Amino acid sequence: MDLYLPIAEMPMNLFLLLGMGAAVGFLSGMFGVGGGFLLTPLLIFSGISPAVAVASVSSQIVANSTSGVLAYLRKKTVDLKLGLFLTLSGIIGSAIGVWVYGALRGIGQLDVVIALSYVAFLGTIGMLMVVEAVRAILAKQRGTPLPVRRPGQHSWIAGLPLRVRFHRSRLYISALPVIALGASIGFLGALLGIGGGFIMVPALIYLLKVPTTIVIGTTLLQTLGTMAFTTFMQSATNQTVDVILGLALMVGGVVGAQFGARVGQSLRGETLRLLLGLLVLSVGLRFAVDLVARPDELYSISRLGGG
Amino acid sequence: MTVRALLVAIVFSVIPLRLHAETLVTALSTERVSIESNFTGSGVVIFGTVERDRQTVARAEPYEIVVTLTGPLRSMVARRKERVAGIWINRASSELPRVPSFLAIATTAPMVDVAGNRVRAGQGLGFDMLPTRGLPDALPPIRTEYDAAFLRLMQKQGLFKLNEGSVEFLSSQLFRAPIELPANVPIGWYTATVYLFSGGVLLAKTTQDFSILKGGFEQTITNLAHREPALYGLATVIVACLTGWLAGVAFRKD
Repeated sequence: MDLYLPIAEMPMNLFLLLGMGAAVGFLSGMFGVGGGFLLTPLLIFSGISPAVAVASVSSQIVANSTSGVLAYLRKKTVDLKLGLFLTLSGIIGSAIGVWVYGALRGIGQLDVVIALSYVAFLGTIGMLMVVEAVRAILAKQRGTPLPVRRPGQHSWIAGLPLRVRFHRSRLYISALPVIALGASIGFLGALLGIGGGFIMVPALIYLLKVPTTIVIGTTLLQTLGTMAFTTFMQSATNQTVDVILGLALMVGGVVGAQFGARVGQSLRGETLRLLLGLLVLSVGLRFAVDLVARPDELYSISRLGGG
Repeated sequence: MTVRALLVAIVFSVIPLRLHAETLVTALSTERVSIESNFTGSGVVIFGTVERDRQTVARAEPYEIVVTLTGPLRSMVARRKERVAGIWINRASSELPRVPSFLAIATTAPMVDVAGNRVRAGQGLGFDMLPTRGLPDALPPIRTEYDAAFLRLMQKQGLFKLNEGSVEFLSSQLFRAPIELPANVPIGWYTATVYLFSGGVLLAKTTQDFSILKGGFEQTITNLAHREPALYGLATVIVACLTGWLAGVAFRKD
């Protein structure tokens, strides 16, 4: 059954959209990430213009992170203060991202910047996750426990000036890295159509030493705030949010996420991180191949001034 | 004297033309194509008759019809990728001012048999004669590699389509030209132009406008997105939050 998407101005199969939403939702529920880094490329590969894909996926991420945040709030594993800091800085980053997006589109370099960013971020994060997970698995097999975090042990980054106390995370750290992290993720989110959870989660764990139990709920809160703002901004400035497309993806996504979460709970942490790392890495590789391989068609056409 | 001679000359030069004059009467099967939520493409049929007055002499050559359906004009940019430091990125580009966003051409016979290059160039008729840099000219347009890429890619996307032989004569004067509108057809005002040829000479030409517009619900959403973008954005965010909340409630185990 085909559904005409009024803003994308093309029809798409409803079940394909629900299926894509569900598949990505399943993975995001399983790994606790937004899944935008998978969904946006999928939509672009299906023929939806990158402008509409990036903007509409942000609305789907809002829906997904809403149900996530509510679940974590019930479990009381969200650091509201840290989440607020990250969200406010994320909104600033997002505003810059929406602007840069439009500027790059105008000069025809948006696609290559998106592809290069995907390669750089997915490649780096994927590699780090795989290495870390393999080390954890090997350590477990050898029976040598990895060093655990002791309270009060901070990296130099957290020791910068302008310290703020985050009670829930039991942290007293500089606000600067928190703001920088939130802003960069907001920027990338708007530019690449991703929630940024797959960058935020490791950054909070390894750089800021936020307790693992708090990390996912707090990340989801930041994702919700930043992506709600991005959806609003993309609608207000670029007018590229397709609410019908977004709704189809949301419905598929929230259902898929529930099943993903159940599978995720039955898998071990290291295995989960290894799988997620491999997934992230393979999406990055896909983009790298497209950049390096000689394209079949050297020319491309687009409307003057973007679109 | 000279003025009278001139008048006589004009009258006599006009009369033979009048004797041969054919006129075209054309009609569209629809004046408005509406795109609803289940739109997967549509079609429009152009009907027409070749009207001849009593003095019109029979022609040795058969009538040939060419129908073009031109979508809204848009300025486009074509870009060429080049390898820079190992990766392929867009480098040089070229603008194509005000080119059709959609162009379907239907004919009764192969285009080259209908009319010569010079006649078609003057009308901008056919993909090879379509002006990509301004108005039609008496000479075939000069094509850069960017123009060629534009024409190739538009045909690949199904937005430019040539259907030779798809116009059929139902009688010696009545013809019909069905034209397909693909699912990705651009929204806007279209012009249907019908050309009547015989022996390579253009005898008559008619144009008719029609529109491809979104249906009620689709148009409401589009209007809202463009006229009230802030409200639309806010509504989208609220819809997203509600969907997430509902899913959380529906799947809550405790």
